Amino acid sequence: MKDFAEPLARLIDALKRLPGIGQKSAQRIAFHLERAPREDAERLAAAILDAKDKIRLCSLCNNLTEQDPCEYCTDPRRDPEVICVVETPYNVLAIEKTREYHGLYHVLHGALSPLQGIGPDQLKLKNLVERLKGGKVKELIVATNPNVEGEATAIYLSTLLKPLGLKVTRIGMGVPVGSELEFADEVTMLKALEGRREI
Amino acid sequence: MPLRETEAIVLRSYRLGEADKIVSLLTRQSGRLRAVAAGARRPKSRYGGTLEPLSYVRLWLFERENRELLRMNSAELLESFFDMQKDYRVQVAAQYVAEVSERFLPEREVNERAFRLLLAVLRGLKRSGEVNRPLAYFNYWLLRLGGFLPDLASCAACGRALGNEPGYYGAGSEGLSCAACRRSPADQTVAPGLLAVIASGCQGTLDRWLAAEKAPAGVRETRRFFEELIESHLERKLVTRQLLAEEV
Ligand SMILES: [Zn+2]
Ligand SMILES: [Zn+2]
Repeated sequence: MKDFAEPLARLIDALKRLPGIGQKSAQRIAFHLERAPREDAERLAAAILDAKDKIRLCSLCNNLTEQDPCEYCTDPRRDPEVICVVETPYNVLAIEKTREYHGLYHVLHGALSPLQGIGPDQLKLKNLVERLKGGKVKELIVATNPNVEGEATAIYLSTLLKPLGLKVTRIGMGVPVGSELEFADEVTMLKALEGRREI
Repeated sequence: MPLRETEAIVLRSYRLGEADKIVSLLTRQSGRLRAVAAGARRPKSRYGGTLEPLSYVRLWLFERENRELLRMNSAELLESFFDMQKDYRVQVAAQYVAEVSERFLPEREVNERAFRLLLAVLRGLKRSGEVNRPLAYFNYWLLRLGGFLPDLASCAACGRALGNEPGYYGAGSEGLSCAACRRSPADQTVAPGLLAVIASGCQGTLDRWLAAEKAPAGVRETRRFFEELIESHLERKLVTRQLLAEEV
């Protein structure tokens, strides 16, 4: 005998695939949706599809955006001489929260991680090299996670891009090794940015 | 719930839930295990950088009744292999070693020699910054300890001594073939006598081999042949092998 009716089991299964959701949370959400009015469920389903259809990657920086290029890349108040490289769009938010960074971004959508089959070809690097070719960019701040994968990515970028004649810096270790930047609070993140050093 | 103390090498970790990690370990005392480290992804975690890939640590673990995963109580860093992995080539090599260990060694089976092998290879990578000899050494001994090292001097199909002839191998090979037995024109070639040179380098400690001036010619070729044997035995593709081929 199955634990749940088939459609409910399918919903729980789909929810379990979301990051941070285990069996128990998935069940709780599924039962909640089951009890909720039909309109609530429709609104959620529509919002998911809407985001899926309308959000794409910025062709310049790979950030998630509704318009291409994104609001950062098109904002004339931002400093085009500095680019901050991060692993995920989530990290952009963490840095924006400091309110002290006014340059542009570049999202790699990952870090070098051989065990996950991620080598240089799997990272979104090609358009970064294109952006740097113009010679306008003076500094590249590498703000990948302070773990083995993030450090290796930082060194790799520095070796690859320094010949283009720009300064490549790494955020300081205000953020402890082994943790993830998305957990860093604004103050820690700001310290990390201020404490950056050339690599 | 008994608390267990053991030395271990971190093979890799997976994200679990909001801020936890599942850590895959090769322990000296209990073989390969997996354990949950609660809160390990938070900046103020007591684990700090101790659980980064390939760290050599001392751990205190709780066995949980009817649960496959153990629970980590605390960890102390004995030796870090963090800095060496900033070099992407070394990172690929180190993670190849981790992936093979994870696939090759059965869970919860004590294998102290495999543990010592892994530690020696990591130290070799760290000290020399060289990739080919440590990996050839790792592959050779892992195959040999597992009983999968074929006769390197004769054809695996007909048994004839290869002598001064080259050997051939391809996907799925469990040894070298002679020219008559080779299965495909696309097979890789191993130069005559090469394996004997490499195998003799592997007889002492890795330190001693690395101290000898230069890597012998063909060590990369040999390493790749061993990789094929390991993959054939596992009957699955290694994720890191492709990246290794591109990089080293
Ligand atoms: Zn953009
Ligand atoms: Zn033969």
